[in-house]
Amino acid sequence: MRRESFDDIYLDLSKQPGKCRLAESGLGWKPAGGQTFTLDKADMTSAQWSRAARGHELKIYARQAGVVQLDGFRQDDYNTVQKCFKVWYGHELVQKEHALRGWNWGKGEMGRNELTFNVRNQPAFEIPYTEISNTNLAGKNEVAVEFSLPSNEEDTGTNGHLGGARAKGKKMGGAVDQLTEMRFYIPGTEMRKNKKKSGDED
Amino acid sequence: NLNGTEEKKFKRFESYKRDTQFPSKVKDLIVLVDPKNNSVILPIMGRPVPFHINTLKNATTSTEGGFTYLRINFLSPGQGVGRKDDQAPFEDPTAQFIRSLTFRSHDTNRMEDIKDQVTEMKKAAVRKEQEKKDMED
Repeated sequence: MRRESFDDIYLDLSKQPGKCRLAESGLGWKPAGGQTFTLDKADMTSAQWSRAARGHELKIYARQAGVVQLDGFRQDDYNTVQKCFKVWYGHELVQKEHALRGWNWGKGEMGRNELTFNVRNQPAFEIPYTEISNTNLAGKNEVAVEFSLPSNEEDTGTNGHLGGARAKGKKMGGAVDQLTEMRFYIPGTEMRKNKKKSGDED
Repeated sequence: NLNGTEEKKFKRFESYKRDTQFPSKVKDLIVLVDPKNNSVILPIMGRPVPFHINTLKNATTSTEGGFTYLRINFLSPGQGVGRKDDQAPFEDPTAQFIRSLTFRSHDTNRMEDIKDQVTEMKKAAVRKEQEKKDMED
């Protein structure tokens, strides 16, 4: 085994699919007629596998490249990808199942690269910090998180580099419906809830 | 379950059990309404994330700079709605809530349509709930 390749893979919500190649030195992704995005194995810190929108997603956490998302794998690709990561890159490909309960409450967890919203200890979704443009206290117990959005469709922030994919902070521009803002209710933690006086104002 | 009383007070609901139950259109990274499963599916960073109609308050739209903004509001504590007893997770007073999510799109018609579908689904859910209550009385 010297190289494995996978067709119809989307990089970081890219509009166009490309070919993803795994080799001993690292990973490459190339859309038809575009330049190649590469990720050196030395840059990788961990990897995870889960169901996403286009198929199954290989998500790589990297020191320089940040959160690299590759969507569109088939379920049976897992064994191959898992083997590549183990043998070549020395990383376990962790399978993560996401919460599908449909609840809007849980716990936000600040990781190294992203904010994870957990529902019953299962992640419901993750937001890489690179995609957050602003946060503010919108009210009592309310935090608003705003997302980086490109000013227009053509603004990928890459000048044709990255082979048609988007620069970090512009990922959402690839989606048809783009998330612009998310608001959280954060219960008062310190003084006020010390005695657990059930509700606030009722 | 041992806590029979609590279970009864907080009605359990679940959008999906398996990801294979998702409509195939989730691959388009768009907002979807799935009345069959009483849920909306929202694309968050490339992942379809379901929300049950019981967590939704309403959906509104507005237009600005060529985009239509669809705002989905969820039920959460401290809104003075008074219905929160139905929804709050008693098991955990420190839980954080997603209060709203806003999406933008150039497709005004589809956004308006989603808003209407959400409103319809919410109405149906409330009606069903009321019928159930009436039966119990």
